[in-house]
Amino acid sequence: MKNILYLMLGAALLSLASCQKIDNWDEPAARLYGNVIDKYTGTNLMMDNNDWQIRIIDRTWEKKNPGTVAQYQSIAVMKDGVYNNTKLFSGTYDMLPYDGPFWPVDTVKAVVLDKETQQDFTVTPYLQLTNFIATLTGTNLTLTCIVKAPIITGLPNLYEVKPFLSLTTFCGNSNYINIAEYNNLRKQINKTWAAELTNLKLPAASDAISYTMGPLPVKSGYTYYVRVGANVNALSRRYNYSEIVKVVVP
Amino acid sequence: MKLKLILFAAIFGFVVSSCHDLELESKGILDEPALFGTKDGALKYFIQLYSKLPIEDFIYYATGAGNTSGYRPGNNNSWEAYKNSQGQMSGETFGWNVAMTGGGWGYWPYAEIRNVNVFINNFPNYKDKYDVATYNALMGEARFLRAFFYEGLAKRYGGVPIISQVLDPIKGTPEELNVKRNTEYDTWKFIYDDLKFAMENMSSTVVAGRANKYVAAALMSRSMLYAGRVAKYTQYLGLGTDAAVQGGFAGMDPSKASEFFQYAYDAGKLVEQGPYSLYTKNYPDKATNFANLFLDKTSSENIFIKGYDGQVFGHTYDCMVSPSPDFTSFGNAQAAPVLDIMQMYDFPALTDALGKPVRFNKRSDIKNGMEPRLQGTCFFDGDVLRDKAFSIQRGIYVKFTGLAADAQSGSNVAPINSAANRILGIKGQKYNNVPITGDHGMFTSGTENNAMMGAFLRKYVDVSRPKSLVNVNKMSQSWIVFRLAEIYLNTAEAAYELGKGTEALDYVEKIRVRAGCQVTRPALDQSASSPYGYPIEKSLQFIRDERVRELYNENHYWWDLKTWRIVDQVLNNRYARALTCYYVFDEGKYIYLNELNRDNRSITAPKSAAYEKIPQGEINKNTNLLPQNPLY
Repeated sequence: MKNILYLMLGAALLSLASCQKIDNWDEPAARLYGNVIDKYTGTNLMMDNNDWQIRIIDRTWEKKNPGTVAQYQSIAVMKDGVYNNTKLFSGTYDMLPYDGPFWPVDTVKAVVLDKETQQDFTVTPYLQLTNFIATLTGTNLTLTCIVKAPIITGLPNLYEVKPFLSLTTFCGNSNYINIAEYNNLRKQINKTWAAELTNLKLPAASDAISYTMGPLPVKSGYTYYVRVGANVNALSRRYNYSEIVKVVVP
Repeated sequence: MKLKLILFAAIFGFVVSSCHDLELESKGILDEPALFGTKDGALKYFIQLYSKLPIEDFIYYATGAGNTSGYRPGNNNSWEAYKNSQGQMSGETFGWNVAMTGGGWGYWPYAEIRNVNVFINNFPNYKDKYDVATYNALMGEARFLRAFFYEGLAKRYGGVPIISQVLDPIKGTPEELNVKRNTEYDTWKFIYDDLKFAMENMSSTVVAGRANKYVAAALMSRSMLYAGRVAKYTQYLGLGTDAAVQGGFAGMDPSKASEFFQYAYDAGKLVEQGPYSLYTKNYPDKATNFANLFLDKTSSENIFIKGYDGQVFGHTYDCMVSPSPDFTSFGNAQAAPVLDIMQMYDFPALTDALGKPVRFNKRSDIKNGMEPRLQGTCFFDGDVLRDKAFSIQRGIYVKFTGLAADAQSGSNVAPINSAANRILGIKGQKYNNVPITGDHGMFTSGTENNAMMGAFLRKYVDVSRPKSLVNVNKMSQSWIVFRLAEIYLNTAEAAYELGKGTEALDYVEKIRVRAGCQVTRPALDQSASSPYGYPIEKSLQFIRDERVRELYNENHYWWDLKTWRIVDQVLNNRYARALTCYYVFDEGKYIYLNELNRDNRSITAPKSAAYEKIPQGEINKNTNLLPQNPLY
């Protein structure tokens, strides 16, 4: 009996001794934040939460550990075009907004992150969506929007124009009512800009095309948050969006 | 007395002596001379490699992770593989929600490749024990096996490290052991070299489940066709800025395409010299003939099979595709064929010229005018399996005036679908003494054993088995890895890509005659359309569609979509559609509608699905595997 007690005491002491508070590494405490700015409007790019990410690569790690190859981490961008990460190690980073709905940008090299660093990016979206109008007729919604391509030379195929409906203020490809009744009303195009102009019998020099989608059935008594997205066939085909319109169905 | 005792002990000790020289060669261990020095030993060595070949068969988990990543030799929970089949992932069947997410499942068979390399490197030491032909055949077989593993890698990752030597993990330097990624072109060419050697050196003897020169040619035909497509169509993915694409690790220069198509074409011609022919044993019933070709183990169409005996190695396919308890003794039906693909065959019209649903006198009249091949591929209402007939009906319309479109794909909000006019229910429920549903669906609740799509799978279902033997791990159908019809279609596509349109259609015609199609030879139509963002001639599209029809549910579709570089476009919010039968009460007739799947569920594959992600764990060990594949 006594022996068992001693054993238990010994085990308890051992388990206490194995807890040590001291870490051999400082807590990651540096903050990296900034805006993704739309070159055309000068304001933050319209997007949905975490549609695409900013890649950062810690070059300090490679210097401290010769022979290693640092791999990227992804920082999420929020729906207002802001990113903010407060749990990073200080050091020198390379940064690249990757796979977003804009013309490829160059990697920003050697961003020094000490305690707080702001790094804004200005990007050139593939498409601009303007004049977005949501018309409610009874319980049917019709969406109209002008898709504009400021740069047509080298633009990948215009892929699709898609309605996004949501019951929360989060609206876009990451948060939407994903049902056939809405998705099947999207415009699937997959043509070059010029071919789509020919297809729609528009003048060959136009840089803007108007699309109408609907009627989309909505339910009485609900409030919808609605926008339109359009993408081109580049990388993962992220969407450029219109602004969000709130639709209250009586 | 004492002396006697001592003497006796001494004699005893001397006689029963335990001193032996223990440095003998053990007789119970199969060492290298035993394995590599005899024909049977070599076969034993190969068997463990055959069992691990990347063959997507009945027990393949499309999403399985881990060391064998989806290929599960043995019976380790493989019964449920069909829930996670490639058919579900590619939208050929509807059942479980299986999606391509996260970038891949880490298939990385370098342990097996090492085992092949040990044989290839050390086998020459035993050359004197064989006659030349046997030696060459065994060496060719090893090269075939290595090519098979590399094909499993290349169709997933593009370029991978080519390791053709046995690396020493102890003496090797990090530079030697951290092998760099090779380009995709080099990887496919490596596969080509191995298979070319195999085709030139293996024998033509046919042994079921074992490779010969024609099997090597069949793998050549398939893999080189994949390579040709990758070379020709990767440019249209729009990934030109990616590091892996620029480095040639993912994708190839379009100018290489015809080289690979030529290899595929030539290999197909060699297969035709073998003792194979399209299966026609059950003519004139072309539907039964098509169904039986997957069951007849003596089929002349089989080039290479993976065998099951239903005892030690069995699978559970039938239990996963036919409803219980009427047809199976285990499990539940999990996967059903979708209407979108049924309608690619000769399929009866569901509506008349005005758009009204066609009236049928009985439910099974849907098979009038249906392509025999489709009837051999799917079970429809009225078909008999294990002495019971399939009975499939969704519900009753009290009356149905108007157009099929009025039903709005089965939506509950359509006026004609009001609860008073469209009667739905569960098994056994009646409306005015008329059963609302069939015995096997479509019920308002439950997905298992419920004809979600209006039909069940027939291809590969073993009709000869009594129900009591249709049980877990007891099925014994062979998986046909290569059959002649696939080789014809490979050759047809390769020929078309090489500009031999007429010859390509000759092959398609052979397939369509056997299938019992109404039009056996479509006219050559070289006008181009652009459904996937790149121009494709009508006849080439027809050949591709023929492939989808003929090889339906044989786990080709996913790889075909991937290598045609259209998987992200075909599977872009694709909603499976269902064939639904209703009894129109006031007319006493039946109608069939084209409805949205009841779960309102769609499949989407990301563009990154063109390649899987190089496993992160491997990159952590060896950063020479970078750059990672596009979009990961």
